[in-house]
Amino acid sequence: MLIPLYGFVRGDTLGLLVLVHTGDTVQTLAASLQQAACMRVKPSQRVSVYHGGVLLAPEHTLEQLGVSALARVDLVPEPDE
Amino acid sequence: MLKREDWLDLARKLDWEYSYVSERDVFPEAVSGRPWLPHAAWESWDEPYRTSYAEYVSGQHGKEAAFRAVHDAVGRVHDFERLDRAWLSALKLHGATLPLAEFAAVVSNLRAVRFGRDSAWRTMANLGALDELRHTQIPLLVLHELVRWDVQFDWAHKLLHTDDWVAIAARHLVDELILTADPIELAIATNFVFETAFTNLQFVGLSAVACSVGDRMFEKMVQSIQTDEARHSQIGGPVLRTVVENDPVYAQYLVDKWFWRTWLFFAIVSGFAMDYLTPLEQRRASFKEFVEEWILDHFEGLLEEYGLARPWYWDTFVASIGTYHHMVYASAYTHRATVWFDLALPGPGERAWLREKYPDTFPLVEPVWERISARWREGGPELEWYTQGATPIGFCRLCQLVLCGGTPLSNSATVRDHAGQRYIFCSEPCAWIFEREPERYADHRDVVQRILAGNAPGNLFALIRRYFGLSEQSSGKDVAHGRYPWLERPPA
Repeated sequence: MLIPLYGFVRGDTLGLLVLVHTGDTVQTLAASLQQAACMRVKPSQRVSVYHGGVLLAPEHTLEQLGVSALARVDLVPEPDE
Repeated sequence: MLKREDWLDLARKLDWEYSYVSERDVFPEAVSGRPWLPHAAWESWDEPYRTSYAEYVSGQHGKEAAFRAVHDAVGRVHDFERLDRAWLSALKLHGATLPLAEFAAVVSNLRAVRFGRDSAWRTMANLGALDELRHTQIPLLVLHELVRWDVQFDWAHKLLHTDDWVAIAARHLVDELILTADPIELAIATNFVFETAFTNLQFVGLSAVACSVGDRMFEKMVQSIQTDEARHSQIGGPVLRTVVENDPVYAQYLVDKWFWRTWLFFAIVSGFAMDYLTPLEQRRASFKEFVEEWILDHFEGLLEEYGLARPWYWDTFVASIGTYHHMVYASAYTHRATVWFDLALPGPGERAWLREKYPDTFPLVEPVWERISARWREGGPELEWYTQGATPIGFCRLCQLVLCGGTPLSNSATVRDHAGQRYIFCSEPCAWIFEREPERYADHRDVVQRILAGNAPGNLFALIRRYFGLSEQSSGKDVAHGRYPWLERPPA
């Protein structure tokens, strides 16, 4: 199922709306978010994604993690090595 | 012949007791506002101007003649052609957000002419309605002439008739603040908070900036309007005083609610103009300095005078003085095709000035400008889309503005569930306003809800062209189309 999420990239100036499938992994969500913010924040190789203050495992799907429509997710780029 | 003081109150303050209908029926609470109080509670209502209608007509005639002379002398297309392109964007922003909001104030003042609780208040509201009609007509007159030169000026009249995201946000504010407000809420929200606390930013601050950039027309226009505002804003104080005496909790609520909503509006309209759209050489003070001088000290003193506390979110407000308009401007710059004015890319000189004025907060936003500059270098001039977002963005379900609260390191957006629905707010004060009256706000659809419901296209290009109503010509661009001399050199 396709669901909208509010995404916030650390270092960015606004909240974004991304459409993702509940079967998508956190890694896929992170890629979408970085792409949506790329004109303001340089994409990073290593990122962490949080929902409700909890770090989400990149290989898990949004459905597995209970991330539902219109939830807030936060992406924190880690410095590239 | 009677002296002025002998007849004036017969003309402006004449109340009587009703014999065949109750006072509650003459002034029903649903229209006159709460708290409902007998006229005895309002009968000391007064204001310092005490203007008669004849004096009003004579004074306004003089102002109109002076304004006309200035317009004839410095208000033609060739006068505007000489101005800086970025400053013209400040004009387009102001020109679109103010005139039709002023027209809403004509309607609400006329409601107060009938349903205000004291005759002197009603008399003043009558003059206020005439003032606001003038404030609608003046900018439309000045800017209409410029449409044939620059089609973006058409949005002075067009904006509030569109479903552009700024129009949705502006209507959400103006419809509640002004158009549908009862006379008591109007007096406190508009006359006291909006006009007394905030409009000095425009009438004093922005007027001074207009003078420094050589825009004599804008300077004179706002100065002329200011003389009216100074008079009719006096409606607010005596209304607030009576409400504080009789329902202090409600008075504090109205002030808290409208101070926040008004702040967001002025932070964008004035903050953009003062810190980004005024040429660097002509900047006199930062937006933050204007706010500190004209709002912080002045309004805090006023609240104390009326026996009110500072809004509960005061610390959030103070923190946002240094961040909010920077966050919104950078966001708007990278979604400029969604608005009707062009935006300027701050170069090294502008950024140094902003760092000096906002040492604690601008460095948090500056990496975004470095990134955008790098994209311009990479893509080259004219490649507008390469520095613009291509996906929809989120909007606050209360203020309908982009989610730009907090800082780049910690966005203050907050998600709340209400009656089985999920809502997002840009800030705690917006969430608080919503939760105080959810029945008032819950069904209003922001841009995201309209897209999800299928009422607006999800494709950004279709959204801009078909739903927002922006053509290729009117869509916002970079003022220099990316042709900045400093961009052509590699970064130091």
